[in-house]
Amino acid sequence: MLHYVTINIDGAIIRAPKGTSVLDTAIEYGICIPHLCHVPGLSDIGACRLCIVENVVNGHSQITTSCTLKVQEGMVIRSNTERIRRLRHNIAELLVAEAPNSRAIQDIAVRCGVKKVRYPFRNNNCVLCGRCVRACSEIWHANAIGFIGRGKERHVERPLNLREEFCKGCDYCIQICPMTITPCDGPMKTGEEYLCGKCESQLIVTENIPEKCVWCELGKSFCGRYSGG
Amino acid sequence: MSSLQLESILKGRSSQPHLLIEVLQDVQESYGYIPEDAFREISKTLGVPLIEVYRVASFYKAFKLKPSGKYVITICNGTACHVRGSKLLLDQAVSQLGIQPGEVTDDGLFSIECVNCLGACALGPIASENGSFHHHMTPAKLRKFIESIRRKEMEVPSNA
Amino acid sequence: MPKLATKEDLQAMERQLILDRKKVIKTVIICGGTGCKASRSQSVIDAINNELLTQEMESAVQLRVTGCHGFCEQGPIVVIEPDNTFYCHVTPEDAHDIVAGTLKNGEIIERLLYTDPVSGRKIRTELEIPFYQAQDRQLLSHNREINPYSIEDYIANGGFSALSKAVDGLTPEEIIHEVKVSGLRGRGGGGFPTGRKWTQCHQAPGDEKYVICNADEGDPGAYMDRCVLEGNPYLVLEGMMIGAYAVGAQKGYIYVRNEYPLAVKHSRLAVQQARKYGLLGEGILGSSFSFDVDVARGGGAFVCGESTALMASLEGKVGEPHPKDVHTAVNGLWNKPTLLNNVETWANIPPIILKGAKWFSSKGTKGSKGTKIIALTGRIKNTGLVEIAMGTTIRDIVFDIGGGAMDGKAIKAVQTGGPSGGCLPVEEFDLPIDFDVLHEAGSMVGSGGMVVMDESSCMVDVANYFLTFLQDESCGLCVPCRLGIDRMLEIITDITEGCGTPAQIDLLEELADTVTQASLCGLGKTAANPVLSTLRYFREEYEAHINDKKCPAGVCKALIEYYIDPEKCTGCGVCKSACIHGAISGEKKELHIIDPALCQKCGICINECKFEAIQVK
Repeated sequence: MLHYVTINIDGAIIRAPKGTSVLDTAIEYGICIPHLCHVPGLSDIGACRLCIVENVVNGHSQITTSCTLKVQEGMVIRSNTERIRRLRHNIAELLVAEAPNSRAIQDIAVRCGVKKVRYPFRNNNCVLCGRCVRACSEIWHANAIGFIGRGKERHVERPLNLREEFCKGCDYCIQICPMTITPCDGPMKTGEEYLCGKCESQLIVTENIPEKCVWCELGKSFCGRYSGG
Repeated sequence: MSSLQLESILKGRSSQPHLLIEVLQDVQESYGYIPEDAFREISKTLGVPLIEVYRVASFYKAFKLKPSGKYVITICNGTACHVRGSKLLLDQAVSQLGIQPGEVTDDGLFSIECVNCLGACALGPIASENGSFHHHMTPAKLRKFIESIRRKEMEVPSNA
Repeated sequence: MPKLATKEDLQAMERQLILDRKKVIKTVIICGGTGCKASRSQSVIDAINNELLTQEMESAVQLRVTGCHGFCEQGPIVVIEPDNTFYCHVTPEDAHDIVAGTLKNGEIIERLLYTDPVSGRKIRTELEIPFYQAQDRQLLSHNREINPYSIEDYIANGGFSALSKAVDGLTPEEIIHEVKVSGLRGRGGGGFPTGRKWTQCHQAPGDEKYVICNADEGDPGAYMDRCVLEGNPYLVLEGMMIGAYAVGAQKGYIYVRNEYPLAVKHSRLAVQQARKYGLLGEGILGSSFSFDVDVARGGGAFVCGESTALMASLEGKVGEPHPKDVHTAVNGLWNKPTLLNNVETWANIPPIILKGAKWFSSKGTKGSKGTKIIALTGRIKNTGLVEIAMGTTIRDIVFDIGGGAMDGKAIKAVQTGGPSGGCLPVEEFDLPIDFDVLHEAGSMVGSGGMVVMDESSCMVDVANYFLTFLQDESCGLCVPCRLGIDRMLEIITDITEGCGTPAQIDLLEELADTVTQASLCGLGKTAANPVLSTLRYFREEYEAHINDKKCPAGVCKALIEYYIDPEKCTGCGVCKSACIHGAISGEKKELHIIDPALCQKCGICINECKFEAIQVK
């Protein structure tokens, strides 16, 4: 039997089953909270921090990720305050500067209000969102890849860098990766670290970024399903 | 590589995944690093996926995936030693030996490690070599010390 | 060893031990702490041992090797009881004189006494030394009395009587109330009210609970916990036992960082001995309280000082922190209620139970009670461990206890609280050591590390140092910490290399704010403090680097030049032959010159020159 709790997100009074996350609940009710590392069906790790919200406890705002926050009776959540928008903007900006090759990340950045990037671009092919690692472990139980190393050295690798018999060749990691929708002719060349503008992403093309949520349309560019991208 | 040590380390610990770090520490102490073969044995015995063993071994600084040099020059990089000039010591070691911290020289003689505070701050900056402390070090003293080890090694013919 | 089955057994043993010890005429106490060990105190210990045997005094004199005495700058330290004669900088060669002179005939060896740097006079006893006089050594003073290998020493000094009082006469609620009223706040850095944490854990539902001692002291330059754990592990153990009794835990762990092998060894020995006497195990001291402890080693990760990362490490996993929407006191190790406290916090518990909350809260300020152990290091005369009452000002610590600047340079700042803390300039030195006051000022008490910096320290370089440290230690899971620290470091590096722009300072501040608010764990949330506090108090140094392309302290290599002072150079040629980059040229007895294009600023020539002719500009 499902137990329900009542929570307040941005003024909307919502009933949600106990044990669900605030993010899932919000999405279910059409309140769009940007996210990257969250995938329905996989565990949530709170890595990208894009889905942060303000959790008001005793009049005090605590900032926490909505994907890891489980609903509690009487919870008051604010998902779209000035403070949260600013933080999301800065986080998205960091992500774009890190991996500008990804159209999906450019789309998220647009959603978060990024118009220009104040950091020198890097040419990384991975933002360590962990989607591939979790999918390999939780859906396929193959454990063929994982996070190796710490801090700046953290990266995704096979055990001992060998092609092990663990890999089932399902290619799910490739399907679910936000980097695999590359719009440009290829990765940037050294000395040419800027957005080329050739892709369909709106990040540098337009000055007038629409106020309404573009997430639902653009978010489909990488939904982890076979329905294309 | 003797597998007897590994066997005795793993004895009585099968199917206990929470002992992973302790097992790796014992292996590190016994062998001086974590040999590749050890990974598979540990994974099988403890019941931990191979990727997870590799993950834990790569996360913690205590575990080395390659053997260290014969002489490990450890430079204390604590805040107190830093304001007493430990950066210059590190630069000296790096330029003299031609390797970065964590690496081994080609002849296998030296490796450099940085540690975040040995707790002997009154005597800083400190460089230690295989457990013996050298205090109030300067780049000049360090250079002489490394050269003296090199000279010692050249005098004693070592087996390749 | 017979087990101590009841409170009366413990008291009887204490009485007997005291009687036995009265038979000893003199005691030689030698500090065996890591600091003194690095000064080769082991040779001193061996030498004195040999002398005692050679001069046939081993039955009349007891030799006690203890943990750290705190005055590390003056080690190796030897103290003679009962006269309390304090000898410092003792060498193995002094052993004969100490045994034949002081121990046999009561003679004082002048050359080994402490010399007061101001008056020049010799001081005989510890308590007269200014370094010790200004302190309030509630916890550290015990180190002198106890050989860490001997639980008997601890019991002879009243050890475990707090535990006995607790399990035999107080309810858990009474104990927790006492801790709450005492005002004790976490000594590991968080400063969280200890009583509140104990209440949360006590009230959490469930029969399976744990207590943990966090000995993962990771702040570089801080070694307080190490000295308490190495020198007096029983005090910490007793605190944990009382805590376990209060919240209803049956199992405890002491998690010691990997880099402290001696602390691991001493803790394990302490646990073994406690088990032998029945002080750990089933039915402790005749009560229904059962408790046991294991000692676990860290793997070398600063982030494991964070409570959820520490618990993950205990579970055999990587030390990645988890969101703490539910406190670990309710959901911690193995998802069970877990009471985690720092070494020094645990060490404060037995005295609070024995002497009462009122005694503890009579020291300190309104918001910060009791005493705190500070690791005083850096560019200061008297480096070591000091214990002061909360509320003591920074000025008193730096000048009265620390003895002021080493090398006569002007003191510029102190850095408190490790990589999570901040730098405070001399103008703020009248601030007291108080959790809330220092937090307001942009720093923190933290675990108690205090590094003194003088005019030879560049504050931008200090920010660079801490960011590099944090980047290395970050677990890398969340974006604000991993990428945010990286980008902050990129900007600061640009500034130290002379490529900084004023717009970068604004970006740095905004980025610092994002990292602070959006990071998952305490490491990320406090990572920006070194940057923010140096920007707040030392903005002019940043501006000098950016606008003038100069490093006023002469540290940032890209902005300085080595040159030879023509008034001091004698042309001796020592620097020329020492320079491994061939950057110095000059004829004998003539002014030598450094070629800036070849100079790598390695510092070797400065070390070698006996005339201090080589300067930095």
